[in-house]
Amino acid sequence: MAKSSSKSEEAKSRPISDTPSSPTDKLRLSAEELFSHELAMLAEVDDRQKPPNWFLSPWAVKMYLLGGKLPNGEVITAKYVGHERLMEIAIATLATDRALLLYGVPGTAKSWVSEHLSAAICGTSSLLIQGTAGTDESTLRYGWNYARLLAEGPSRNALVESPMLRAMERGQLCRIEELTRIPSETQDTLITILSEKTLPVPELNTQIQAVKGFNVIATANNRDKGVNDLSSALLRRFNTVVLPVPDSLDDEVSIVNQRATQLGRALELPAEVPALQEIKRIVTIFRELRNGVTDDGKTKVKSPSGTLSTAEAISVVSGGMAMSAFYGDGQLRPSDLISGLVGAVIKDPVQDKIVWQEYVQTVIKERDDWKDLYRATREWN
Amino acid sequence: MSVHVFGIRHHGPGCARALLKALWELTPDVVVMEGPADAQEIVGFANHEEMKPPVAMLVYPVDEPQRGVYYPMTVFSPEWQAMRWAIQHQVPVRLMDLPQSHQIAIEKEQEAKHKAEEEARADETSIESEVKDEPPTWRTDPLAILAEAAGYKDHELWWEEQVERRVEASELFTAILTAMTAVREEVGEKRERDLLRESFMRKTIRAVQKEGFTKVAVICGAWHAPVLTGEAVAGKTAGTKIKEDNERLTGLPKIKTTATWVPWTNSRLTYRSGYGAGIHSPGWYQLVWESTEDAPTRWIATAARLLREKDLEASSASIIEAKRLSDALAAMRNLRSPGLAELNESILSVFCQGDVSPMRLIHRRLEIGDELGQVPAETPTVPLAQDLAALQKSLRFKPSTESKLLDLDLRKENDLAKSHLLHRLTVLDVPWGDFKSTGGKSSTFHEVWQTEWKPEFAVKIIEASVWGNTVLDAATKKVLSDTSQSQDLTVLTGQLKFAMLAELSSAMEPLLERVQSVAAVSADVRHLMESLLPMAQVARYGDVRGGRASQVEPILIGMFERVLVGLVPACSSLDDDAAERMKASIASVGSALGIINRDDLLDSWTECIRRLMDSKSHALLTGWCCRYLLEQHAIDDEELYRHAKLALSTANPPLECGHWAMGFLHGSGLLVLQHDAIWNVFDRWLASLSPVAFVEMLPLLRRAFSSFTGPERRQMGEKVRDLGRATTPRKVLTQDKTINSQRAARVLPILTQLLGTPSQGVES
Repeated sequence: MAKSSSKSEEAKSRPISDTPSSPTDKLRLSAEELFSHELAMLAEVDDRQKPPNWFLSPWAVKMYLLGGKLPNGEVITAKYVGHERLMEIAIATLATDRALLLYGVPGTAKSWVSEHLSAAICGTSSLLIQGTAGTDESTLRYGWNYARLLAEGPSRNALVESPMLRAMERGQLCRIEELTRIPSETQDTLITILSEKTLPVPELNTQIQAVKGFNVIATANNRDKGVNDLSSALLRRFNTVVLPVPDSLDDEVSIVNQRATQLGRALELPAEVPALQEIKRIVTIFRELRNGVTDDGKTKVKSPSGTLSTAEAISVVSGGMAMSAFYGDGQLRPSDLISGLVGAVIKDPVQDKIVWQEYVQTVIKERDDWKDLYRATREWN
Repeated sequence: MSVHVFGIRHHGPGCARALLKALWELTPDVVVMEGPADAQEIVGFANHEEMKPPVAMLVYPVDEPQRGVYYPMTVFSPEWQAMRWAIQHQVPVRLMDLPQSHQIAIEKEQEAKHKAEEEARADETSIESEVKDEPPTWRTDPLAILAEAAGYKDHELWWEEQVERRVEASELFTAILTAMTAVREEVGEKRERDLLRESFMRKTIRAVQKEGFTKVAVICGAWHAPVLTGEAVAGKTAGTKIKEDNERLTGLPKIKTTATWVPWTNSRLTYRSGYGAGIHSPGWYQLVWESTEDAPTRWIATAARLLREKDLEASSASIIEAKRLSDALAAMRNLRSPGLAELNESILSVFCQGDVSPMRLIHRRLEIGDELGQVPAETPTVPLAQDLAALQKSLRFKPSTESKLLDLDLRKENDLAKSHLLHRLTVLDVPWGDFKSTGGKSSTFHEVWQTEWKPEFAVKIIEASVWGNTVLDAATKKVLSDTSQSQDLTVLTGQLKFAMLAELSSAMEPLLERVQSVAAVSADVRHLMESLLPMAQVARYGDVRGGRASQVEPILIGMFERVLVGLVPACSSLDDDAAERMKASIASVGSALGIINRDDLLDSWTECIRRLMDSKSHALLTGWCCRYLLEQHAIDDEELYRHAKLALSTANPPLECGHWAMGFLHGSGLLVLQHDAIWNVFDRWLASLSPVAFVEMLPLLRRAFSSFTGPERRQMGEKVRDLGRATTPRKVLTQDKTINSQRAARVLPILTQLLGTPSQGVES
């Protein structure tokens, strides 16, 4: 479970068919490119019932997300580490042509899951609408090519299709990122699309009716400031799945380790594979602060105002790796991590600082094998 | 002559349905059930019209009721249905399990043996023996083996799919018997206790056969089914020889037990007891029992209605969507129809938008439910009532329906015990005594109670018996359960005080731990302050009542320190109402410190109040602080004057000044009367008010002064009247010290008469 590095860059990217450059040049490959082999293999062995216009059956989609072994011995890697049941709910929701809302604190793999779901279900994750404060109705419905509009008058040719409209016509999945960043008035455009599955075009006196297989996956987070709450009319049209932070320490450590190593390679950092012990410490600190109690359940600690998501843990570790590679001895040491760590914890300069100092004094100081980390925190101050 | 074995799962609705059907088909002439033989005589009550499940059969030793064993039954328990069927069809019912009189006696013997062994040996072995006592998983859950063989991770789920929700169940019991036979061949029963029980069961069946019954229906937990078949009873299979059984059953220890029915609650069905089997969601099973096919839809619809009742959105359209999602989930998980997990996940996703808090409501109200069973009045009494009767006798404290005033002297042992009893009963919701006050002003060792016994208490005691079998035990458990969920510090400390008054010593430690952990993360200073008073009472009077004050004090001081740190920031930017509440909380800290009586704490508190007074808090609070410091002699006249002048200066809005005055004027008026400076400031301020502002201030001022007594107000009035010439009369008084006041007084009445009203005198 980890989050894609940047969302805006995806928003600009166009469907693969339009981009001639070879996949290896790209900074980041889309899910269907990166795992095309796995998808093809799954499609080959998949003999279970498929909902109309689905590329894979729900069982195969689940296997693609959660990983497993195919009958022919091929291994499918896990894209999402965590609750199997949540993924089942998400897939079942899409199978019942209800829209899916992935909800949760930042950095809980919402976009990641949404990308892989659409790659596995309709073969492409490129029909994407990036929600921003400036998103207007034409992004969700359709716009006009004004040169054509003036020359030819209103016609289908003058219509600029949105990813939503394209998904409806092709019977594919449309993804909306950061739904809650879209202004409320614009959000409500979705209501008709989701309940009637049609998109009226009054200018042409027609309407576009969605083909079977069309559906919407939206992601939204409940923690960031400046979000526009969804109206209850819209919420009613979504099935909501809340993605939690990882349950167990081991899960979280393995996610951070896997992603940090991957990112390190993509950024061509010369550092060694991060020391597992350091990662474990970072994840432990994040978990303890997040849960408000130490992992042994003995000491209560205060929680800071930030979310301390797994994604932040990943960025602390990869930041630390860069530090150690360029300025340190190549080994990931507490001193490389400390600035990133403190920056991640202290989001509010007054409240969080007290929280962090309390934590340093009552928890880090008390642990015998954490002496080096304690020294690093003292030096950093 | 035939024996038909029906292996069931206790509390299984599918089993119950299949069993009823099988009984109708078989029409046995006797029903033999797994249930302690010493409860035989109360079986007849099962068909009583006032009997409403959930109820529990309770078998307990007469002298040690807390060892009692419960056999809970609800409407979908196969045993309950079989019992009712049999009684309604005039078929005799026999209980065949080893009587609790033996089981408890054996347990006691073993305990004594363990204790002796432990004393004899070193401590190291105790851990080992604990491990031994832990039954292996296949025994606590014999179905696990089968479920795992069938490829299920969740054993409950497997059984529910295979048995409970099966619509067509004709061959069910044969299948269960075959399956369990296979399991028992694999792992077998080795525990002496269960072998004993099974021997006794066989012996009972043999006795029934001897009586001449020909069609015997045997109803038992699935695990026991293979050893109670016709063959086994005839002693023909391995380990079931009649001779061995009889040998095993001779010379068992025995004690005297009593059996009764008690009302049970759905929430307690979820505990393991008696049968060693609990169920997690009685509410769901109830639905499955009522209608197997409709259960999923009914579950979602009931949940939707519950949510609507709580003003949460739950439309019929959402019910349809939730049903569709649960069906799709069931299909993905290869289930025939959605189970509880699928349904709840759909409800969470469609109705609650992923928010788990409404699910807790559904869990509490629907899955568990608050149903309370009912037993007929003529059932034998519960152990709790017996314990209470014994206590009443030993304390010579007879219940009387007459309302009486009772003055208890807590220094006397008997009176202290009475006080504990009354407090404990209050905890158990049996308000025999109404607590009036703690004696006179000086003595903390007197308690005054208004006692009156009401007949309905009998029912309340039966209800309370779900908590425990002795008054002490039940009250302890109730207090702990009441507080286990609460995050509210004031509630917790209130219960702590209760526990102290009722001397629930085993509840004190967990409660203190809760208080400590909640206080550690509590951000609400007001709650912390309000909690200090009950804590202080516990700390102060705990010792008088044999409590443990020494444990309380460190926690109390920890909380106090947090208050010191947080008070001033917490008082910033409060509105009028909040300031009023804050004032009350701050005052309660004062009284708490008065109780603990420690100078160092008082000093730091005074310091803190001074900081608050100097801060830019609500005027009501700064006024109050000023007054408090005055009482503590922490500020002198000059400082007081300076503060009052600043607070009542015309630069402040009149309302703020009014609040300051209100905060300052409270408690004893005499203290204020002595400080002339204050009155000058007040006077000047009032005089400077514009007529409009003055009328606006009037209600506030009236309220501020209304807390003083009549004579105090009169004196204040007189003071204000003399204020204008405050210096002159004093001089007169000091100069004329030589005057014989007695003689002078004689002139006064005439002088008043001559001068008319006293006010005229002032003018002159």
